[in-house]
Formats: sequence, structure tokens, C-alpha cells
Amino acid sequence: MRRQQSLLVLIIVLLVGAVTVLTLVPLRLGLDLQGGAQLTIQVESTDEIEDLTPEEVISGVLSVVRNRVDALGVSEPLVQTLSDDKILVQLPGVSDPEQAERVLGGTAQLEFREQQAGTDEQLQAELLARRELQLEFEVLKAGGDDAALAQKQESLETSNEAIAALFAPPLLTGKNLKFADARNSAAGSDNWSVSLEFDGEGGEKFAELTKNLAGTGRSLGIFLDGKLISSPVVSVEFAETGITGGQAVINGRFTIDEANDLAVQLRGGSLPVPVKIVENRTVGATLGQDSIRRSVLAAAGGLILVLGFMVAYYRLPGAIADISLIIYALFTLAAYAILQVTLTLPGIAGFILSIGMAVDANVLIFERTREELRAGKTLYRSVESGFYRAFSSILDSNVTTLIACLALFWLGAGLVKGFALTLAIGVGVSMFTAIACSRTLLFLALQVSQLKKPELFCPDLPGSSQS
Amino acid sequence: MVLLKLNIIKQRPLWWSISGILAAIGAIAMAISLTTLGAPVAPSLDFVGGTRLQLELDCSIAGNCESPIELDTVREIMSDRGLDNRGIQVVGAAGRGLSIRTLDLDVDDRTQLLSDLEERIGQFDPQSTQIDTVGPTIGRELLASGLMALIFASAGIIIYLSVRFQLDYAICAIIALFHDVFITVGMFSIFGLTLGWEVDSLFIVALLTIIGFSVNDTVVIYDRIREILKLSTLDEANDSKPIGINEVVDTAVNQTLMRSINTTATTLLPLVGIFIFGGETLKYFALALIIGFILGAYSSIFIASSALAWWRERQESPVSATADSPIPDDRIIEAQLDRDE
Repeated sequence: MRRQQSLLVLIIVLLVGAVTVLTLVPLRLGLDLQGGAQLTIQVESTDEIEDLTPEEVISGVLSVVRNRVDALGVSEPLVQTLSDDKILVQLPGVSDPEQAERVLGGTAQLEFREQQAGTDEQLQAELLARRELQLEFEVLKAGGDDAALAQKQESLETSNEAIAALFAPPLLTGKNLKFADARNSAAGSDNWSVSLEFDGEGGEKFAELTKNLAGTGRSLGIFLDGKLISSPVVSVEFAETGITGGQAVINGRFTIDEANDLAVQLRGGSLPVPVKIVENRTVGATLGQDSIRRSVLAAAGGLILVLGFMVAYYRLPGAIADISLIIYALFTLAAYAILQVTLTLPGIAGFILSIGMAVDANVLIFERTREELRAGKTLYRSVESGFYRAFSSILDSNVTTLIACLALFWLGAGLVKGFALTLAIGVGVSMFTAIACSRTLLFLALQVSQLKKPELFCPDLPGSSQS
Repeated sequence: MVLLKLNIIKQRPLWWSISGILAAIGAIAMAISLTTLGAPVAPSLDFVGGTRLQLELDCSIAGNCESPIELDTVREIMSDRGLDNRGIQVVGAAGRGLSIRTLDLDVDDRTQLLSDLEERIGQFDPQSTQIDTVGPTIGRELLASGLMALIFASAGIIIYLSVRFQLDYAICAIIALFHDVFITVGMFSIFGLTLGWEVDSLFIVALLTIIGFSVNDTVVIYDRIREILKLSTLDEANDSKPIGINEVVDTAVNQTLMRSINTTATTLLPLVGIFIFGGETLKYFALALIIGFILGAYSSIFIASSALAWWRERQESPVSATADSPIPDDRIIEAQLDRDE
């Protein structure tokens, strides 16, 4: 009995925890439910870059894509790599992805441009203005006011164009950049810099470019997709020849993160790999809300019918199973919230299905209990034996389902993964609630003498009237 | 309260013929589908690539929703743009929705098509729009990964059942499982040929879930067969007369019958709910599961069990000790209970 009491305490603690989690942590909804655009971008190999497997390739492209996504002005975008050659972009709330598709497709444009004479003051002013806009933009991004965000995005765009206008047309582009890397200026110092390495042609052009700029105070503008990402000046000592040998270092008291960011952006911009949008799944916001409403309705309707059936057929144990099913639903949803599972439409289907599995465990136990009662065992022993004997069936059946989930999660993509994850979590939680919750509650009920009647467990038991 | 007593073994020819006929019908449908559509079931753009646009007129604009969308107008616009005009449907009660399925359109083609449509028909509500574009290579990858998942799941289940039970149990369970998957695919092949329903990546999910559930049902019955066999060998040791595998299977099926029916019923309830009320996407998913689960229950009761009996009967008669995995031993339970009480 002591074991049951401690289990009951555990269940109550978990229940309070689950409810707290559900009130504090919102469930993450997939784009198919909240509305938005999901684009899969494929990186294509070219004659120059045939092998896409090195990590630098995809991380470079990823930084380019991030850059472009940032420029879209969408709140809470998600950019992540799917495989060696695919990148997933999620844009919540975007119902017309036309602009996104245009911006995200195409090869990155990395350009080295000379600042025009006499534009210093203007450049400083523009850069300052852009920094302010950028800060305001970040604030708005967290806020979720999409109209204001779009407006701010437009001002940023104008600002970027104004900055670009201060520079001469590009003499040198990213295709001549061989490599870029962050490095420590002096061993052990916190002062980082970015080193560049050009090919032969690039080295010559870079020498010419730096020769023109050295000592003038005019800067070398480095643009990625039309946006100024760095504007170093060239020191006077290079006025004679420019920076020769195809190698250069940008110093600027970078922190390690800043230096890395810049190097990755440069590398991404130097990759002559075209990217293509190979998959586009866009769901309008109201459409998403409609499907969530319908699915929740279907789930609730189905669940109520199941709860009713359990009481009607299994009587007292059925009622107890219903309580543990509700506990089950709360635990599972809390697990989704804690594990940050993104709930998609198939994910909801997985959840509903796992409810079915949870019911199955109870059905197995109660059928077994009835059999034992019919075989003439006492009530207490029948219940105990019902749980004990049904266990191997429950274990085997749940493990086989988990095997299927594993295969789906491992090999499936996107939506399929979501389904496998919610079902697997559900099956795991149901093992606990069916066995621990139902069991504890049922034995507690057996402590109450009014409930200790075999006919509450099995209605037409031969000779039940005597007991 | 045993409502009905099934005599599985005696009626084996009947159950096997029913399954055989269903499988044959499915096979014929798949063959016809293979020759006409090039695939055993009508594939959606998830697998072959393409673009699907689901549009709805924006009725908050005055005069925008006056008349239902004319199919011919849409066809004309599509033909003008040199696009296949067969995959067009007007949907929704008032004919305000439009569904277009065409080859994989890039952003320029799509934008152009949308503006042409808006010019002739009226403004669409972007909040109710759904766009799906899948490139042909992605489609093939989705299909390949789906099939891989099916194969790996089946292999994993065979291994697990061979370890927990025995190889012949696993083989019979797999036969039942393929029976369920094959007939479900066959049914959707028929739906594809007659109603034009296409299967998407959720269909693969459905098939995998059916596998999990079908094995589930089968395992419960096998668990019981194993238990009865173990108990009968204990009885044999006490000089009782041995019971044949046929009798064991009949008993096991009948003892678990109410469980099989109740579990299937309770699982089907939410699925029927989704089928009736759920959104378009989940409708066919739910239907595939409903068909598969009913088949799963059927095959567990009638096919998996009788196949096992048939197999064992040919191998050895009378049955000797078979179950070698740990099973709940009645006497151990009693001992534990005594201590517990």
C-alpha cells in the first residue's frame, strides 16, 4: 500500500507540473496550422564545385540564405540545414511567398567595391542611420506587428541602396575569392581578424583596388547581395603597389563571433553554387486555423465517445481508465511543450492515435481482469493478475509501434517526422499512465468498501450476487 | 459473457478465400492503374512533383463573390498559358473555391497565372490560399525514403518478434501485415481509378501506422497462444492429455476476441471523427487508417492465427513445448501476491 501512496503522490506532482507547463509554455504550432510558407532550398553542384559534402559549402550557403531571410523582414523565421545539399526555410505568417522565392533563389553576389571620393561624411551618416534602423527592426521583429515590420524593412532597403550608391561599380567579385577565415591577430589575444585569399586573377585585381584606395581614407566596400557587410580602409603603406600576393587581412578589433560571422558570409558569397527552391508549402493563416479547429473538434468528439464507451462497457475500471486517459492527455501535451515538439496536422493525428493505444492498454488489462474473475478468483487477485498478465501484451504491442515510429522518424521527412515523434511520445507516456495511473487509482478504489463489488467490474458474473 | 464463439480453424478455407479475393481485386486494380497511370496508386504531387493551388475568393470585397467560379473560364486561362487544364476543380459550397493541379510551376509562372486568374475571376483571399510546389527530384526522394521506412519497420518488427516469440510467429505476423498493407493499397488503387483520389506522403505514414497496429493486434493473440501452450505443457507434465495447436489457437482467439473488437472500435471512433469533420488533408489519411485497422483486426483474428496453426500442424504433431521466452508463470504470480497481500 505504501508503494501505491507514493505513486499517487508522484502522479499528483506530475499532474501539477504538467498543468503548470501547459499554462506557461505555449505549444509550438507548425506552419500548416498557424499559416506560413515553408521553402526547401536545394544547393546545386556546378563544374567548379562538384562536391557539396564539405561542411564549409553548406555553412557558407546557409549564411547567405540567412542574410537573405533577414532581409525579408519576417518575424521568427527558421533557417536550418536538412541534408548536405538542402536548406529548410520557414516563414511564419507569410501567405504570399512570391517575394521570398525571388530573394532566396539564385547565386550569392559578393562584390568588392571602391568608395567614391568625397562621400565620407555621407557614408558615416548613412551607416549610422542604418544601424538605428537595424535596432528598431530587431525590436519590431520580436513584437509581431507585421505591418510596421514590413515598413521598417522597406526603409532598411532604401538605406542599403543609398549606401551602395556611394560606391563605384564592382571591380572584383566573390568568384575570385578562394577562402576566408577568422584568425587570432596575436596568439591568445581577444583581438580577431579575418583573412582573405584570392586566386591569381583576384590577387591582381585586389592589388589594383587597394592601390587606388590606400591612404585616401576611402574604404573598400564588401557587399553581399547588395548589402554592405564590411568597409575596411587600406593603410597608406600599400599606396605604391596595393596589397599584392592575393592575401589580405581585415583588422578591426573583431570579437571571435564577429570575425567568424564575417568569414562565413565571405565564404558563402564566394561560392558559385546556384540555389533553387525545390519545394514550397504555403498555407494561408485562416486556412490553418480552420484545419486546427476541425482537427481539435474531431479529436474531442472521438475522445468523448471513447470515454463514454469505456464507462458503459467496463463500469468502474472504465471510469478509472477515463481519469487516467485525461491525465494521459495532459502529460502528453506537456511533454510536447517541454520537448518543443512542433505540432503539425499529422502530429495531431499521431496524438489522437496514441490515445487509441492508451485505451488499448486499459482494454487489455480489464478484459484480463474479467477473465480472472470468471475463473473464480477474488476481486483483488483478479485485478492484480489482470495487470500482471496483460503487461507482456502491452509491452510487445507498444514496442512494435515504437519500431515503426523509429523507422518513420529516422527515414521520413518533415510532416512524417512530426507524426512519428508525437506518436512515440504518446506511446511512451501511455505505458506509464495505463500501468501506473490506472493501477494506483484502481487499487485506491478497492480500499473503499462500497466499490469493492465484483459486479462493478464484470456485470454478468455467474454467482456475483452472493459475493 | 462470450457473445460468439469463432471456429477459426474449421472455417479456415472461408477466411482465406475472403482475403484471397480481396487481394486479387486489389492486384487487378493495381495492374490497371499501373498501365493507365504508370503507378499502382494514383500518386499526388508529393511523389511526382507539381504545383497545386488552392484558392478562395475574398468575400470581404464587395461584389467579389457574386457568382460562382466558372470552370470553363479557368480552363481557358490555363490553356492560354499553355498549361494542362485537366486538374481543375471548383470546390466549396458556393463555388468560391478553386483547386488547380498542374506541373511544377516556378515563381514567375505562378505569379503570372494568379494575376491572370484574378483579372478574370476576382480577388482571392491570401489568408485562405494554399500553395504546394514540389520539384520532381524531391518527389522521388520522398517516395524512396517512405519505402525505405516501410522496409526498415517491417524488418525491425520481424527481428523483435523473432526474439520475443519465435521465427514462425514472426513470419506469420508479417504475412498478416502484408495482407493488410496490400489490400489497403489495393482499395486506394480502386479509389484512384474510380474517384480520382491521390495518395500523398501521409499515405505512407498511414501504411506504417497500419503495420504497427496490425502487429499490435497479432501480438496480443500470439501472446495468448504462447501462454496456453506453456500451460498445456505444464499440464502434460502432470499426465493430462496434450491439446493440439488448432484447439490452442481457437481458444486463444476467442479469449482475446472482445479485446480485439473493443480496441479496434475505440481506435476507430476518433478516426471516424477525423474522417467526417477533419480537414481535406487528413480525410484520406483517416480513411486509409480506418480500412487498414479493420483489416488489421480481421487478419489478426482470422489469418495470422490460422496461418500459425497451419504452419505448426505441418511441422509437428502433436505439439510439444514451443514457447521458450519468459512468460508469466501462474505460480510465480500467486507467490508474489501472497507476499503482497
